[in-house]
Amino acid sequence: MEESEVRAKLRGWIAKHAKKPLTADFNDATPVLEQGFLSSLDVVEFVLYIESLRGADVDADAIEPEAFTNIDSLYSAFFFAS
Amino acid sequence: METVSELASRLTGASRRKSWDVYNSFEWPAALDASLWYMPPELISLYGTPAYDALDEPQRRRLSLFDLGNFFSLVLQGERPLVQGLVHRMYLKSSAREVTEYLHHFVDEENKHMVMFGEFCNRYVGKVYPEKKIALGREYSKGEEEVAFFCKVMVVEELGDYYNVMIDRDERVDPLVREVNRVHHRDEARHLAFGRVYLAELADRHMSQWSGDALAGFRSWLAEYLRSSWGDYYNPAAYRDAGLADSYELRQMALAHPACAAHRQRASDKLVTYFVKTGLLAEKPAL
Repeated sequence: MEESEVRAKLRGWIAKHAKKPLTADFNDATPVLEQGFLSSLDVVEFVLYIESLRGADVDADAIEPEAFTNIDSLYSAFFFAS
Repeated sequence: METVSELASRLTGASRRKSWDVYNSFEWPAALDASLWYMPPELISLYGTPAYDALDEPQRRRLSLFDLGNFFSLVLQGERPLVQGLVHRMYLKSSAREVTEYLHHFVDEENKHMVMFGEFCNRYVGKVYPEKKIALGREYSKGEEEVAFFCKVMVVEELGDYYNVMIDRDERVDPLVREVNRVHHRDEARHLAFGRVYLAELADRHMSQWSGDALAGFRSWLAEYLRSSWGDYYNPAAYRDAGLADSYELRQMALAHPACAAHRQRASDKLVTYFVKTGLLAEKPAL
């Protein structure tokens, strides 16, 4: 899957599950947890979605909160090397 | 009415009378009997859906093993932070001596449960399913973190206990699996008795001090936490291990299916009724 497609899917998932509408200036660097779009309780569901996109499990022991900062960090943590 | 300290003393006595050795309580066969169920079919996470109906009986029994492995794993994973939190609360000035004394037994029994579930999963499922959670710091109102901790305790233990009782009483299920569930239920009955009284007292002490916004925020979190905890019962990795395709889509389908939602409401009823009665929830949430 192309990088742009992965980023679009991540953004789509966030929009679907966000606690509030995405703002007009929402972009791949917007902090999704810090700005309250998602909560820590959304992370499990998000990880499972990420695994379905990758077609591989995420190493649960290696999940760092920083990976969930924004779409850029999500892409780097879970897709860049795969 | 019995105080928390009196209850803790009584439960300490019961724990000592019923103490057991996890390393010598079970005969672990080399393999399980593949002709048996490992969970009543009605408790299988996909039960009542077209995906379940499409499986033949050997596939359903195989799914029951991996769903059971997921169930044991999620209880084990819930008991890890529970033990951490209980140890943290021992010998605090705010913890009565009788409470600390009981917490020693609570921790001891939870440790045995983790050994028991870990042994079963490693032997017969090939793994303990990992949890995929992260902990984020946040600001709490006074006493809120304490109340939230014991709410989490109640969620993992009450939901788990519903399954323990249903699995133990079902004669279609493998005898070893029934025994593991029976042993867990015996200890959990005491933990739940303590948790119900202790949490109600905490809620009574702290919630009246919270602002309206803080109380609404807490109730919203608790409802969300319950939904999230139920999500753990629908594990794509377990579906894959059971040989099912499109495991992530199966989870999404089951979470949205009315038959599964009805099961979650039914299995949560006792817990949710308690939360509403104590004011921790304003109303029963959709699960």
